[in-house]
Amino acid sequence: MSDATSHLGNHLTMESLLALREPGVEPGDLAARRHIEACRACRAELERLHQRAARLKALPALRPSRDLWPAVRARQQSDRRRHWQTRWTGAAGFLAAASVALALFWGDVAHPDAASAAAEIAAARQRSEVLESALDRFNPEARVIDGRTARVSQVLEDRIAELDQQLQETELQQARQLEDRRMETQQQMLDLWRERVGLLNALVDVHVTRASNVGL
Amino acid sequence: MTLTRTLPMDPWLVANADSVLAGARQGDAAALEKLFRAFESPVYTLARRICRTAEDAEDVLQETFFEVCRSIPRYRGDGSLWGWIRSIAASKALMRLRRNRYRDTDELDDAVMPSRREDAALRMDLEAALERLSETGRAVVWLHDVEGYTHEEIATMMGKTVSFSKSQLARAHVRLRRWLGEEVGT
Repeated sequence: MSDATSHLGNHLTMESLLALREPGVEPGDLAARRHIEACRACRAELERLHQRAARLKALPALRPSRDLWPAVRARQQSDRRRHWQTRWTGAAGFLAAASVALALFWGDVAHPDAASAAAEIAAARQRSEVLESALDRFNPEARVIDGRTARVSQVLEDRIAELDQQLQETELQQARQLEDRRMETQQQMLDLWRERVGLLNALVDVHVTRASNVGL
Repeated sequence: MTLTRTLPMDPWLVANADSVLAGARQGDAAALEKLFRAFESPVYTLARRICRTAEDAEDVLQETFFEVCRSIPRYRGDGSLWGWIRSIAASKALMRLRRNRYRDTDELDDAVMPSRREDAALRMDLEAALERLSETGRAVVWLHDVEGYTHEEIATMMGKTVSFSKSQLARAHVRLRRWLGEEVGT
């Protein structure tokens, strides 16, 4: 066992010391709090821990060696142009198809309670994993695809990336919320997961169905 | 509008936060650039402390602000703007770690590095010691001790458990203590 978790002699472990620094009215466990009152060595160790964290916070701010704004701006403009182009090349049809697939897959589930929402989120996560595995096995990046398929895939993948970002933010938000607001956030997460599954279905259709049609 | 709770900010930006944010939401290039200038250093610092190389940190900075430009219409203003940008930056930096699959080096370092007692001259300064930590350990230390994320939040961002985050933090502090020459009894 490492000295992160094991007791060295009778002194507190690093994990116990760190727990005493966590926010809260009574951080750490009772035994650790009693020990720290009686043990000078552990109090000194806790003080060193405080000082180390303070020194970490005081490390100097850093700046990149070059101005990166022009690159960000150029990428943003290029992304905007690409989205306008794809708008006119049939991507909307695939997104509509994704919505239809979504509706068929999920049926009418207006306001589920907390338990069924959690179950549906778990099912959607699982479904996402299955679809992602199917895409991995198909390995679209290693295949030759026509321009239209590439553009449609790009739109779908971009939207999935946006959804992943939203999901992460919503999960963090939910972790910070009190119980009474969590249901609302859980419903948002469920909607995001449903949309993600719908988009993944469409992406699988774009790649796998097309490939089987043309015998790739 | 709260821009930040902890960062020293350009007073002009603080005074004009609402109009800058409104412009940025509409895609106004000047407003977006003002946001970039205000937050490029804290984002780069976070990225550089988590990523192994300056090039990776620069990529994270670019990806973060590309995402900020794309997503700012969805930012509802219910937390600080820095909190929102920071969560994007942390997510991008952790994604970069996963993509690069850096080798976690501290176990090896422990084995080959002479102990502090053998050679006091090898004591490191804090920055060098932080750099020497494993990728995961360094990320957890920075996110928890400096950026103030909870173990629950770190676990969510990393796709790991809360106890993983806690044990990584403890292991990292044990190493920092040793490398900085702060062990008890010496």
